[in-house]
Amino acid sequence: MLWYKSWLETRWRFLIGLALLLCSAGATVLVYPKILQLTRFVPANVSGEIGERIREAAALSREYRGYVWSQWFRQNLPQWGTLFAVLLGAAGALSTSAGALFTLSLPISRARLLTVRAALGLGELFLLTLVPSLLIPLLSPTIGETYSIVDAIVHSVCFFVVVSAFFSLALLLSTVFDDVWRPVLIALGIAFVLSLLSRVYNRPYSGYGLMSAESYFRSGHIPWLGLLASAAVSALLIWAATSNLSRRDF
Amino acid sequence: MADTAIIETNDLRKHYDGVEALRGVNLRVQPGSICGFLGRNGAGKTTTMKILLGMAQPTSGEAHVFGLAADSPRESLEIRRRSAFVSEEKDLYPHMTVEAIIRFTAPLFPRWRDDLLQRYLRKFDLPRTRRIKTLSRGTRTKVALLLALCRGAELLVLDEPTSGLDPASAEEVLQALVAHAGSEEMTVFFSSHQISEIDQIADRVVIIERGRVLVDGALDDLREKFRRIHFVFDHDAPEVTFRAAGVGRVKRNGRVLTVLSSAGVDPIVEEVRPLHPRSIDVVPVTLKEIFLETVNAED
Repeated sequence: MLWYKSWLETRWRFLIGLALLLCSAGATVLVYPKILQLTRFVPANVSGEIGERIREAAALSREYRGYVWSQWFRQNLPQWGTLFAVLLGAAGALSTSAGALFTLSLPISRARLLTVRAALGLGELFLLTLVPSLLIPLLSPTIGETYSIVDAIVHSVCFFVVVSAFFSLALLLSTVFDDVWRPVLIALGIAFVLSLLSRVYNRPYSGYGLMSAESYFRSGHIPWLGLLASAAVSALLIWAATSNLSRRDF
Repeated sequence: MADTAIIETNDLRKHYDGVEALRGVNLRVQPGSICGFLGRNGAGKTTTMKILLGMAQPTSGEAHVFGLAADSPRESLEIRRRSAFVSEEKDLYPHMTVEAIIRFTAPLFPRWRDDLLQRYLRKFDLPRTRRIKTLSRGTRTKVALLLALCRGAELLVLDEPTSGLDPASAEEVLQALVAHAGSEEMTVFFSSHQISEIDQIADRVVIIERGRVLVDGALDDLREKFRRIHFVFDHDAPEVTFRAAGVGRVKRNGRVLTVLSSAGVDPIVEEVRPLHPRSIDVVPVTLKEIFLETVNAED
């Protein structure tokens, strides 16, 4: 029943996230023919960082696999996925506005409460990542293209492992602050700073390179070490959240 | 008889951000009693209850419930398995229906009583299919009380159980409590700043003020021990410095000297008799007066 309680407390965030990501994934596929037409008009003589980016995006978009990676796994999914990972994490295990004292009066340890919430949140996050990504191979034939289901799964799993660190960070912050907004704003702030750093250094093994599994896209190598490090960070943050919640006064 | 107390605290202290919420609370609540925990807002009632149930950790001192240490996470689980708590806010899960929160709570308590559940569902006339967030405060209080009473708990801890209720609902809740405690052999420890409620249902009272216990005893004993003595003189009442124990507030008003005693009458009367009062009148004191006198004496 703890699972049911956690589901009731997070279901709207999850369902809204799922609907939004499904729309975004569907739109990514359906606008491809238009994007392909536009790539012909990309000027070759624009200089500087922006020009390079435009040319790179156009080059990737000439091939459907490159377009899906660049548009969905490198752009839309990280943006929306990170937002909903943080929102799900910030729901916390013991929201002070939703029966916290009643929960604390039950013979349930705080560690169990947090474990159930973390497990359910990570499950929801996994579905948020995987289901919209699987829509891409399913929808691609409608525009006369194909996309590998294996690629969709590999990219989604890599994204999930990395973004779960932001979920865990928000979960930890929810054990520190009583309101929802501070954990959300701090975790999103950290995510924003990390994304800027990733863009500055622009390496396949930076945080956002890992999120989009750039090394897998370019060379077929799964970034095991980076994924392992992300999973370790996530586990550490959940452990810190459990420890903090267990000590906290209500 | 340290091993028989259901609740026992020794020099319990709690500091919150530099504020001393509890300043050495010593409590003993015996099994089967209905103990009223009386104090003004912010006196330390809720903090004490939270420490007893493992929701807050004491800064120092000890708290035991059923002989188990309240500050041990493992023992606190057992305390909560054998007790029930209703918070002042009656904060339940707003998204659940009454039916769902019953189904959520029941499996957590091995001694859950379905017979009591049916009885209180009928008695309180609760709407099983409605969500908690749509219920009035009175109905929410009844749901919270139902969830507490059906656990088969040995100890019921209630924080301001009737706060925010209209007089009719408050009376209904109190009557249900008294009837339940009487038939189920349970201990009730409840806080209130409604003196009349404690007077109505408690057999023992603890008065707490600014984190310290000022009075702790059986209500009958307190009524017996506390007396107001009026000495009337032929002239202005003299100023007296009492040596007798238990002298509370002393008031001189014209020819009348009024003394509140918490330890009998005779020693005080003996001290005043040489001053030749014209009359001596001993009056029983209500719980309200005891409370106000003890709390005001602290100010």
